[in-house]
Amino acid sequence: MPRQFAYYPGCVAEFSSKELNATTKALAPLLDIELLPMPAATCCGAGDVAEAKPNLYLTLNVRILSEAESMGVDILTICNVCTLNLRRANKMVKEDPRVLEAVNEELIKAGARPYQGTIEVTHLLWFLATEEGLSLLEARGPKGLNGLKVAPYYGCQLLRPSSVMGFEDPDRPQSLERLITALGGEVADYDGKTRCCGFPIILAREEVALKESHVALAGARDAGAQVMVTPCPLCHLAMDAYQRKTEQLMGEEYAMPVLHLPQLIGLALGLPTKTMEFKRHLVPVDEVLSTVGA
Amino acid sequence: MPATTFRIFRYQPDSNEPEPFHQDFDLDHEEKLTLLDAILRIQNEQDGTVAVRYSCRSAICGSCACKANGKTVLACMTQVEQVKAESGEDVVRIDPIGNFTPIKDLVVDMTPFWEKFKAVKPFLIPDGPAPEKERLVPKAAMEKIANESKCILCAACYSECNSLAADPEFVGPAAFAWGYRFAADERDSQRKNRAKLYSGEHGVWDCTRCMFCNERCPKGVDPRDAIEKLGSIAFQEKVTSDKGARHAKAFLISLRSGGKLNEILIAPYTDPIGAPFNAPLALRMAQKGKLPKSPLTHKVKDRDQVKKLIKNVKETI
Repeated sequence: MPRQFAYYPGCVAEFSSKELNATTKALAPLLDIELLPMPAATCCGAGDVAEAKPNLYLTLNVRILSEAESMGVDILTICNVCTLNLRRANKMVKEDPRVLEAVNEELIKAGARPYQGTIEVTHLLWFLATEEGLSLLEARGPKGLNGLKVAPYYGCQLLRPSSVMGFEDPDRPQSLERLITALGGEVADYDGKTRCCGFPIILAREEVALKESHVALAGARDAGAQVMVTPCPLCHLAMDAYQRKTEQLMGEEYAMPVLHLPQLIGLALGLPTKTMEFKRHLVPVDEVLSTVGA
Repeated sequence: MPATTFRIFRYQPDSNEPEPFHQDFDLDHEEKLTLLDAILRIQNEQDGTVAVRYSCRSAICGSCACKANGKTVLACMTQVEQVKAESGEDVVRIDPIGNFTPIKDLVVDMTPFWEKFKAVKPFLIPDGPAPEKERLVPKAAMEKIANESKCILCAACYSECNSLAADPEFVGPAAFAWGYRFAADERDSQRKNRAKLYSGEHGVWDCTRCMFCNERCPKGVDPRDAIEKLGSIAFQEKVTSDKGARHAKAFLISLRSGGKLNEILIAPYTDPIGAPFNAPLALRMAQKGKLPKSPLTHKVKDRDQVKKLIKNVKETI
């Protein structure tokens, strides 16, 4: 019996970065996971709604948690920002019964189901970087990554604040490294892997944001990486879609293909390249595909 | 008894060796030894020229922040053995805090930090003449600003702020924690003016939400949360013309209209003047299918609930 999750891909994976959603869905059966849709789930607010209207942010996110609770399964995410927003709301209501009561009052008034506080939120990376996840990968007999040199890029919100996220040491994370190594890749280590991609302010403060993403892109390049991998579609947009703009601003060349985490796993497990929709990337991934023999 | 090598950042521009370098000092020490005590022992026993700023030795004055194996800490409240255990390294590398210019060894020029601190008007500005007795404040009102009141201005947050690294003019987390502490104080009369003051080019909307400040603060101030709450105050005071605030508004509009993000709306709504200049990128993204072909919004099930929540839920900051 496959492990069931309430699947919360988040807006970016559903729309701009459909390749992430498609790959995750194709990968799920190979990992013995069943992804159950959440038709009533809204956007998590991406930190913006928390900033503009914090009580509304909390109520909307608890409504999402409540939908999963009605399905009787935990939530699986594929986006750093969604993970932080959902986990933070979950922590706020689980830690303070008065907050939960106030939120539930609003939910009931709006005709939504109140939340009991029984749901956990986990990211695909966290699920896979455990003994259970790694053994699921091993069981598929991965054809491997043929020594592909991969720069892990975590970004921020899957690591910090650790009081909310808490899966691993935010300063010395190892989950991506464990997966890269387990799949037959080689880790290109560099300092910028836990720094910000700048995406949250890329529309409002583009130059500041691009200077931030430069730190990670240059670090990965200088570490000799052939490709960067990220667990977050927002980081992916900053690193992939905006890469040429960052090159123009900084007067440097990175030529760094960027994979979504499920695409890297898909390559190692032999998922058809067409399914993973690499054609939707702005930085071509041809050399990556030829290295792994896809 | 443990033995530790401390690799200390040295920079003495007036000396015979004006370029920065790292110098190793070995110490045998008890199991319990703070980083600050280690530095002071080195200063007393091995090299009196090692410069470090410190005062209280008990995590109150905020003077001794430095980087230990890459992570900003208060030297006086950090155990040497803890640094070694956490980093998995036997050598403890001590560097000055980041996003500042070193003056001498571990001492940095704090001038920009204090200038920005002053710029947020970190003091109470009440209305009218002072009353005869003190202004009484209910406990609940002070609880709202209790976290931010704990800030000791050690600059551990500032040291690793990713926005500051990219934009040295950014006001930064500590100053905004103080800004919120006064903007949300019910005795203060300048809520709206503060919202305007903090919403400028290098203001609250410059924060990239890297969360390093929350992670590093040794006092649990959570400066990012303070910046977030200042955003909320800006919304309540209708100070929302900044591109950052417009970005947040685009999310609210998306939620109201369908429940999910409307990617067609977000860029032009955030930056109506600048967005056309990004047409080449938009075109490249569209060619790759990264922009939706239709402006129709994505509608979730039971969105009447969402509409009701947007209408009903009151903000309390």
